[in-house]
Amino acid sequence: MGLDPKSKAQFNLERASVLLLDENPMGMKILVQILTGFGARTLSRCGSVEKAEQAIGHGQYDLIIVDSLGAAGAGYDFVRWLRSSGIQPNCFAPVLITAGHTPASAVSQARDCGAHFILAKPMTPKLVLERIIWISKEGRRFVECDSYVGPDRRFKTEGPPRGVLGRRHEDAAPAQSDPSTPPIEQDSVNSMNNTRRVQI
Amino acid sequence: MSGAVQFHTPENRLAKLMRVPGGKRVADALADADKGLDGLRGECLDELTAVLSKAEKLVAKAGALPGAALVGRLYALVSATIGLPTTCGLPSLDAMLVSLSDLLDHMTSAKTWDADAVEVHLRAFRLLLHTEAARDGAGAEAILGGLRQISQRYAK
Repeated sequence: MGLDPKSKAQFNLERASVLLLDENPMGMKILVQILTGFGARTLSRCGSVEKAEQAIGHGQYDLIIVDSLGAAGAGYDFVRWLRSSGIQPNCFAPVLITAGHTPASAVSQARDCGAHFILAKPMTPKLVLERIIWISKEGRRFVECDSYVGPDRRFKTEGPPRGVLGRRHEDAAPAQSDPSTPPIEQDSVNSMNNTRRVQI
Repeated sequence: MSGAVQFHTPENRLAKLMRVPGGKRVADALADADKGLDGLRGECLDELTAVLSKAEKLVAKAGALPGAALVGRLYALVSATIGLPTTCGLPSLDAMLVSLSDLLDHMTSAKTWDADAVEVHLRAFRLLLHTEAARDGAGAEAILGGLRQISQRYAK
């Protein structure tokens, strides 16, 4: 559900420490204006992956916003590095990726890097705030295995993808009707949708 | 998948901090952010003019069959600019940049080049940037619809 832009609900980013990574100076200025407008006071602006890696090693961050950084997706690689770096608590920090355009070759890289959410540009203050609030509320579990470290990508509890056998013990077998009882007739289904005049 | 899979729920510090009394109302925060972005409008327009000029120079260099590196530079330039136009109140220009990025990505995958398709996008870039009349709903939608058809022609 969308955020009501006239909402009087309050939130506080004054004490949150936010790391921003964007190589494009204008992109960085846009992010800074949005977050400053939200009341964030501690912003670490990193114009390169190297600077962001150094910052991760020296400070503690409550929110990390990363641009995808070009067709090769250096931003996705940074998030993958962060998740497997073992630098606590930063390696568990909420990460929001902003992406102008995701080339076909980088879609799986984007999905599997370990970000909490990928926000497609153009972004508006409302969209950014919606996602920050969503990330702060959800408390998603982390998954760590050989091929992936990051927030659980399956967070809607819809089970495994269609046509794929579940890998987790909680993946229940799909519900099936009892074959001994005949299926309901189509006429009966249609009759349920018909409008009828009734006496009250 | 091989190896053990571990699940755990790390502390959500952001949630705790955001609940600390004080801060801002949503409406005020959005208004303040919009005000800050308004201050960037002029700078964004200058940047868009510079990007258009760079893109036109790259396409002029490209000729009939440009190398992958040049197409890559053009894609990097165009895709990195997505988001700027909306900041200066030109959302239709953002839609054009997305269409051009799609086109360049599709052509890279297919290892092909269509100079006319790229040039028509750049002409639309110039028009939407400099001609206020072209930015109205119906005019812009007609231009963007045509551009999307062109870029989707190269989609697999």
